[in-house]
Amino acid sequence: MNEEKSYSKRVEEEFKNYGKRVKELKASGKRVIGYLSPIVPVEIITASGAIPIRLKGDVYEAVTTANGYMETIVCPFVRNVFDSALKGKYGFLDGLVMPHLCDSMDRTADIWNYNLGLNYFHFLNVPHVTDEPSLDFFKEILSIFISSLERFLEREIREEDLRMAIEVHNRNRGAMRKLYELRKSEPPLINGVEMMKVLVATMGLPVGESISMVEGLIEEVSERKLISDGHKPRIMIIGDQIDYTSLSETIEDGGGIHVMDDISIGSKAYWADVEVDKDPLYAIAERYLRKLKLPTFVESSDTYSETVEKRFGYLKDFIEEFRVDGVILVTFRYCDPYGFEVPLIKGYIEDLGIPVLYMEDEYSASTIPRAKTRIEAFLEMLME
Amino acid sequence: MSEEKKTRQLATEAAGKIPKFVRGNLSATLRAKEEGKKVAYAFIADGQDEILRAMDIVPAWGESYSGICAAKRDAERFLQKAESNDFSRSLCTYATCNLGFDIWREELDGQMPPDAPWGGMARPDMIIGSAQQLCDPRFKWPQATQYYLKDVPVFIGGMYYPPWDPNTDHKQQEKLYVRYAKEELMALVRFCEKHTGKKMDWDRLSQIVELSDRTCDMFIDAYELRKAIPTPMDTGDAMNTMVPITFNLGTEEAYNFYKDLFDELKGKVDRGEGVVENERFRLIWAAGLPSWFALNDFQYFHNKGAVFPVEVTYRVCERTDRLDLPRTDDPLEHIAWRWVRYWTNWYEKARKRPGSLPKVERIIEYIEDYRCDGAVFHSAFSCRSWHAGIIQQAQVLTKVYGDIPILILEGDIVDISTYNEADTHNRINAFIELLEKSREKRG
Ligand code: SF4
Ligand code: SF4
Repeated sequence: MNEEKSYSKRVEEEFKNYGKRVKELKASGKRVIGYLSPIVPVEIITASGAIPIRLKGDVYEAVTTANGYMETIVCPFVRNVFDSALKGKYGFLDGLVMPHLCDSMDRTADIWNYNLGLNYFHFLNVPHVTDEPSLDFFKEILSIFISSLERFLEREIREEDLRMAIEVHNRNRGAMRKLYELRKSEPPLINGVEMMKVLVATMGLPVGESISMVEGLIEEVSERKLISDGHKPRIMIIGDQIDYTSLSETIEDGGGIHVMDDISIGSKAYWADVEVDKDPLYAIAERYLRKLKLPTFVESSDTYSETVEKRFGYLKDFIEEFRVDGVILVTFRYCDPYGFEVPLIKGYIEDLGIPVLYMEDEYSASTIPRAKTRIEAFLEMLME
Repeated sequence: MSEEKKTRQLATEAAGKIPKFVRGNLSATLRAKEEGKKVAYAFIADGQDEILRAMDIVPAWGESYSGICAAKRDAERFLQKAESNDFSRSLCTYATCNLGFDIWREELDGQMPPDAPWGGMARPDMIIGSAQQLCDPRFKWPQATQYYLKDVPVFIGGMYYPPWDPNTDHKQQEKLYVRYAKEELMALVRFCEKHTGKKMDWDRLSQIVELSDRTCDMFIDAYELRKAIPTPMDTGDAMNTMVPITFNLGTEEAYNFYKDLFDELKGKVDRGEGVVENERFRLIWAAGLPSWFALNDFQYFHNKGAVFPVEVTYRVCERTDRLDLPRTDDPLEHIAWRWVRYWTNWYEKARKRPGSLPKVERIIEYIEDYRCDGAVFHSAFSCRSWHAGIIQQAQVLTKVYGDIPILILEGDIVDISTYNEADTHNRINAFIELLEKSREKRG
């Protein structure tokens, strides 16, 4: 019982004080490299000896300082994180890796680089197409990234460093997937709000500490007793960087239960591993280019239905395995990659007989009341 | 309403020929079936058009069609159609306007939506998108379209250029980017061969590529005549005269158009004819696609004695000799080099001026060459590609170049709901005052 408290408490702490641990490590002489989105291969940063920390925003903090530097037509998540960075929240960073995820990142990279004044800034030019030439190209892009990190950190990144980093990140992902397993029961052993906190807390920890936290949590959570108070609508959330709990809270306060996600701090980041029996750089390139389910990647097949299955078939598996009753699809305003996908995803899931609630959001707490009304109505519909 | 009916005054005869060009491109898509040709939805400035031309595939330009709908102030119904299909109003409105059109046409079993502007655009046989550093919609839009046109095959190729990094020499990375672009162009050739049942005629492609080079050179030569004082052509016209280079690259018509434009502008320069009688201020249109429904605003500038001898927007190429392209007999490699070097063309200059950016260097070069007094940007809310980063460009310009009057207009390319004419005119008035004061200050 005591131990349970200690792990859950640690999650709470790390969630509330995001980056606290990394800050401590920085004070003790570690180097810290920030990054955005799950398409930055964290293995490479870990292999360099630096600690990767994924940047998050704060929906409760209004964007103010950033208004003087970045247009309001940029995705509100990107603006929010940039605002946090300008306000010094990430003052402990030695550098930042900005990937070519979307226009909101690509077209603002210079704004970040010029205004944050970090010692190291790298734009990682990830391709969108996943064919053979793109994979070769991406491998070269990763080599350029490695060289630039080596120069900055004055340290060689050897093949064995990469192999070790791959192994440890695979373990981290494996542990997280095990934790997800515990959401499959009815009721789940870990609810959506708690899970969201775990997802946020771990992305701000060095990978080794993330593993111990998740493994510890699995043990405690597995010992919990299932107390059912009737069937509650089981909800999956789809979206990009949903790094706040208000959606899950609204679902769970409204009588539903958030059992699964297809979000970029969640399953999108944890489902695929890097293969260990291949050339490490190739395997990393392959994992990030071909195995991540993000709208920034173009996967095509000969026919439309094959393409759709290739791109979204995993959603069908999620729905079956986690016994999902309804899906909430969230996009951020001004997000072209997710925005253009909405009718497609919605249609695909509805064809499986699962209702979808689509909401365009602003990455701001100010929209919570509006979302609440819609989510409650959706849950009521599911409960009928 | 009355403003809508006013026709913008064109300074050049060349610009007057453009509606015919645009109509010609549209009707080519409608005629293609009878001529046994394939139609492809295609996207501008992505290095793929010469391949389409060589394969006799007729490009159907969605961006152009949305621009037409906007200019006719008839885009709203298409935007609403897309919105009712869950496409957010915050997405690229070229795309959503077109998607609305496509959805409507599918609902009508292939018939054109009622009163479709200029007769509508043909249903494509294929969609050729581009996943690259121009914008996300160039590949998300084709994917979204395919949801409604399920039988239509989609090709998406990657075309990248080395990112700007003040601390890195991009030249070391050029070859990698060129090799990748070339391979992706080759993949496009294979896709086109598969869907047309024809083989690529490589000699023909080489001729087309050579013609494109000449067209780019002629385009730049003609545009550089605008350096004259008074300037013989301004940005309002350039938003028309960009059509051949943007939509008809690789055709004789495009080359001849710029040859005629060159002759016309040369004549005007020789005769000292300017866009306005009393040219008081020369401005650069420093970034941003225009509001197609409000091109009359250029006239408003003219009425104040302000002209735009130069713009960054739609100046989609550079004289090929200035790009110092490595010699190659492979037309795909040539396209790839031309593509990469165009985007990195201002990197060297930016590296030489600490704190500068390539985009700002380009603006500075034009300000100096065209002797501009101020810079105007247009920030269109629905396109991040050209419009995110404008604040930074303005700030860096002021920092590294000096205190030049700057106006940032806000609006959209297609969505008229954000536009307020009175407000825009007030802002232009205030800007003109600023230009006057700045001139007084400089003596
Ligand atoms: S939400 Fe969309 S626009 Fe924002 S960072 Fe993610 S992919 Fe980019
Ligand atoms: S460049 Fe801008 S306007 Fe053109 S398709 Fe892309 S997002 Fe749309």
